[in-house]
Amino acid sequence: MKASPTTSRPDPPVAAGRRRVLARTRLDFWLDALLLVAYTLAYSLGFTGVATHEWLGIGLGVALLVHLTLHWDWVLRTTGRLLRPGGRERFVWLVNLLLLVSMTLCIASGILISEVALPELGIHLPASSFWRQVHDTTATLTLILVPVHAAIRWRWIVGMVRRFAAWRPRRSR
Amino acid sequence: MDRGHGPPFRRLAPAAVTVKFLRHLGAVLLVVTVIVGLGMLWAHASGDGAAGRTPSQAQVLRLEQVRAGVIAVHSDDGPDFADTSDLIRTGEIEAALAFAVITASAIRRRRRRERRSAAAEV
Repeated sequence: MKASPTTSRPDPPVAAGRRRVLARTRLDFWLDALLLVAYTLAYSLGFTGVATHEWLGIGLGVALLVHLTLHWDWVLRTTGRLLRPGGRERFVWLVNLLLLVSMTLCIASGILISEVALPELGIHLPASSFWRQVHDTTATLTLILVPVHAAIRWRWIVGMVRRFAAWRPRRSR
Repeated sequence: MDRGHGPPFRRLAPAAVTVKFLRHLGAVLLVVTVIVGLGMLWAHASGDGAAGRTPSQAQVLRLEQVRAGVIAVHSDDGPDFADTSDLIRTGEIEAALAFAVITASAIRRRRRRERRSAAAEV
């Protein structure tokens, strides 16, 4: 955001608010990028191996809780506007809901069929073909939904990358 | 998705931000618990969950395939940098899907802009 030359310097509370919003946007961007990379790695079981796949999946679960918490305002706002005309937000909401359900079931089923992580923690669960099937199905579903979820906001991502490219750290002297 | 344009955490004292975050986290945990609970009910309804039962045929087959090397899974701790084909395949699928969504979105935007400019000319 560029300030026009005629704009007076914002008073301290407003400036602090802007800084916080910018910090929040930066947090959103880097957390989302981290989630995408972690998800891509976790999905590539042949590359990571079972142990890394499982620990990465558990970590992804925790990071997703934070991601969802940070965007809970959006969930409430969009859910409240669902009955209004205009299809785009409704489509985004539906994609996000499907992703939430499939990702939650994918991680939960992954924990329930864990072969390394849970036994390492001393927890032994009976083998379950049901949860293995749920894990396989939801993993495929998330592979479709994750890129759609990210690409829906491609303009925001491009804007952020441009802002980062233009951003120079302020020197102390 | 909230991209920082909405009201979140703006002009709130740090303590209020923490309270709001915890409140939202509680709501998220509740939603996640409901989804997992419904999954458990689904498992129970489909007759799964019996402790100590014998492994299914699919599991036995998978184990045999892993042992025979048909399914490439290594249980050692750490990524196999010599075999990145799986990672590349995942990246390709994600990129292809993202490209399709972005293309559709760009076409839609262009059409909307054209419609708007046509309406302005009239």
